[in-house]
Amino acid sequence: MFGYILRRLAVAIPTLLLLIVVSFLLMHAAPGGPFTQERALPPQVLANLNAKYGLDDPLWLQIVHYVWGIVAHFDFGPSFVYPDRSVNQIIAAGFPVTLTYGALSFAAAVIFGVSLGVTAAIRQNSWIDYLAVGTSIGAQVLPNFVMAPILVLIFTLWLGWLPGGGWGGPIYWIMPVIALSTSFMASIARITRSSMLEVLGSNHIRTARAKGLPERKVILRHALKPAMLPVISYLGPAFVTMITGSVVVDMYFSTGGIGRSFVDSALNRDYAVMMGITILVGALTILFSLVVDVLYAWVDPKIRY
Amino acid sequence: MTRLFLTTALTVGLALPAFAVQPAAGEKLAENQSYTFWLLDAIKTSDPHKNTDVEGSDIIRQLFEGLLNEDAKGAPIAGVATSFDVSDDKLTYTFHLRPEAKWSNGDPVTAGDFVYSWQRLANPDTASEYAWFMELMNVENATAVVKGEKKPEELGVKALDEHTLEVKLTTPTPYFPKMVTHASTFPVNQKVVEAEGDNWTQPGKLVGNGAYVLKSHDLGVQISMDKNPNYWDAANVVMEHIKGLTVNDNNVALTRFQAGELDRVQIPAGQYPRLEKEAPAEAISIPYSCTYAYLFNLRDNGPEALKDVRVRKALSYAMQRDVVVNQILQGGQKPAYNWTHWAIEGFKMPEIDYASFSQADRLEKAKALLAEAGYGPDKPLKVTLQYNTDENHKKIAVAAQQFFKQLGVQVELNNVEWKVHTDRLQSGDFQMARYAWCADYNEASTFLDYFRSTGMNYGKYSNAEFDKLMDESKASNDPNAQYTAAEKILAEDMPLIPIYQYAKVDMIRDDIKGLPTENVMNDWYAKDIYRIQK
Repeated sequence: MFGYILRRLAVAIPTLLLLIVVSFLLMHAAPGGPFTQERALPPQVLANLNAKYGLDDPLWLQIVHYVWGIVAHFDFGPSFVYPDRSVNQIIAAGFPVTLTYGALSFAAAVIFGVSLGVTAAIRQNSWIDYLAVGTSIGAQVLPNFVMAPILVLIFTLWLGWLPGGGWGGPIYWIMPVIALSTSFMASIARITRSSMLEVLGSNHIRTARAKGLPERKVILRHALKPAMLPVISYLGPAFVTMITGSVVVDMYFSTGGIGRSFVDSALNRDYAVMMGITILVGALTILFSLVVDVLYAWVDPKIRY
Repeated sequence: MTRLFLTTALTVGLALPAFAVQPAAGEKLAENQSYTFWLLDAIKTSDPHKNTDVEGSDIIRQLFEGLLNEDAKGAPIAGVATSFDVSDDKLTYTFHLRPEAKWSNGDPVTAGDFVYSWQRLANPDTASEYAWFMELMNVENATAVVKGEKKPEELGVKALDEHTLEVKLTTPTPYFPKMVTHASTFPVNQKVVEAEGDNWTQPGKLVGNGAYVLKSHDLGVQISMDKNPNYWDAANVVMEHIKGLTVNDNNVALTRFQAGELDRVQIPAGQYPRLEKEAPAEAISIPYSCTYAYLFNLRDNGPEALKDVRVRKALSYAMQRDVVVNQILQGGQKPAYNWTHWAIEGFKMPEIDYASFSQADRLEKAKALLAEAGYGPDKPLKVTLQYNTDENHKKIAVAAQQFFKQLGVQVELNNVEWKVHTDRLQSGDFQMARYAWCADYNEASTFLDYFRSTGMNYGKYSNAEFDKLMDESKASNDPNAQYTAAEKILAEDMPLIPIYQYAKVDMIRDDIKGLPTENVMNDWYAKDIYRIQK
């Protein structure tokens, strides 16, 4: 296992490098640049700006300088659009925000989703089951950009319980987490339910029941772990979707997270911030897929690496 | 030397503050003097010489103060300068600065600060995206300095002494005083800028001479400012705290306004009729100095069909501006048949021929013109219309597509993102493009100069008579004569399809007083507003 993890981490480095090069080239391929303004800049000013940000170097040299800056100094460079901030500062300000509501959303989706799915599976065809399935389908037709304004309407305008946006203490976390986690919770509930139903019909469960084990032990000790496999495979793509979902959350709840910075940097052609966040998200995705694969091996002893 | 005072109010009250905040009779001030306003996007910078957008200017106007400010109607009044003289040849302006003006760190504001700042704006090393404003003001040597051909010290601005600033222009510019209310002409503190470098605009480091100081700035979330005790007029500033909240979605912003979290917000498109009925004390629609149009590409390598003036006029006549204004926008905007915004100070709206035709009449004439130009069912006119991503631009473009269909014209719509749109406008890669022009200063030439052969003019329209009229207008005693003739030329040559003139459609909490509703530039100063007790 340890060797497996090391091998995966070793492959991560060329993967990231490839990601950097491809993103760099794609970025520069888009028409317009960071200094494309309503009024075309005088050539001298444009030349100065390009020199300041190294944009007049050939592309391959820019990539080399950029990668070297990260590897040697962990410096992602100055923002091209915000003159008084560096990319490190922008990410340092935004990432903790996204991480907080992202992790909470994940946890909420998994905990509530699995609980709902297991309950529905155990009480199959009861009112709980129908409620659970109904809720999960309903939640899936409410994407986060529909939920967000509705949540603000209900909790800020009608009830006055929560602030409509911004960031600070736990009270600001509630609506973003609800908006982001709901559709994932719904999917996880349905996956858990069907997977659980399948496991409950398998031989080792019949044996456990025949042995006279209490039902709770049968479910929690013997059925839950194997039922988790499809859920774990779902977590990988869910993670990526949550990153993109965070853009919507940032937009509607003004949290200042990096999701919005990511989209803004693309629209503003802020090459440095775009690259910085791409690398961050890429690295997180690689790390997360590794975690998921290790979890597989823990859950199912038949899987060997 | 002719001594020129700014406004009657100023002449009368030279010893008084320029614009004192006075609650009206019967109004009592509220305990809570804080004001929270809406921002659509993150503020890029608080550096007056590096800012490029309106929201940035709104922030900068609270943190810094220029030579002159604007009153409630948009006319220039005293700022750091209490008065100015103009030489007889109209080329030299001498500004007299008030000795009590101070920076937020206690340093006195001097003429030298303005010299440093204006040089900094024009200096190619600053790489300001507004350096062209110095050229627009016609300051001596501005063009050469911006190009890097002359040193910034050679710019036509000099400090005669601590409190006297002399500006030399290359050509008479009668509206020059209106231009120095623009945020890019505001001063910065040389010591602080040179000591801190790019980080000087961060809270705790930023030093300004405005009525407020920067308390905190969370990028993309909020920006907070507190009253500046060192501001020369601090005694008369009532509003204590101001805060800009960024909400990227207009509809959520409206919900938060209604929940009490914001004091001012823009009304999302289409909601004004409803809100005007539900909350008449809070919903406003006031003229705003921008014109919306479709620009034609008239370059040599541009589309052949659009080079024919009859085709352009046909398209412009077929445009149903009333539908756009009354059915799509519904915000109190006015249909436009000319380029300059109708509410620009001093501008007299000329009589434009096709403005007075009925729409049925215009359609008839359009069909006739198009047929004359040789287009018909067997030779249909095909043209592409490019616009940048936005709900309203899309709606108007789709409607326009239908209007032009009535002439048998096939329009292909092309929606691109703003940077791509701008890039294509600048390189001439378009046929018809959605465009808007906003006034840089409150005078008609900011619009009309656009279409000079040497103007920004992305369609590369050129008319020697037009250029001559604009040249003459600078020296004229009544430039409206030239402006009227110039607008009539535009209506004859039709290098664009003017569509509508903007209005600012906002909700403002009814206990906030002092926000300008008659200033077409909508330059507001938090030092002029106050909250009353309800």
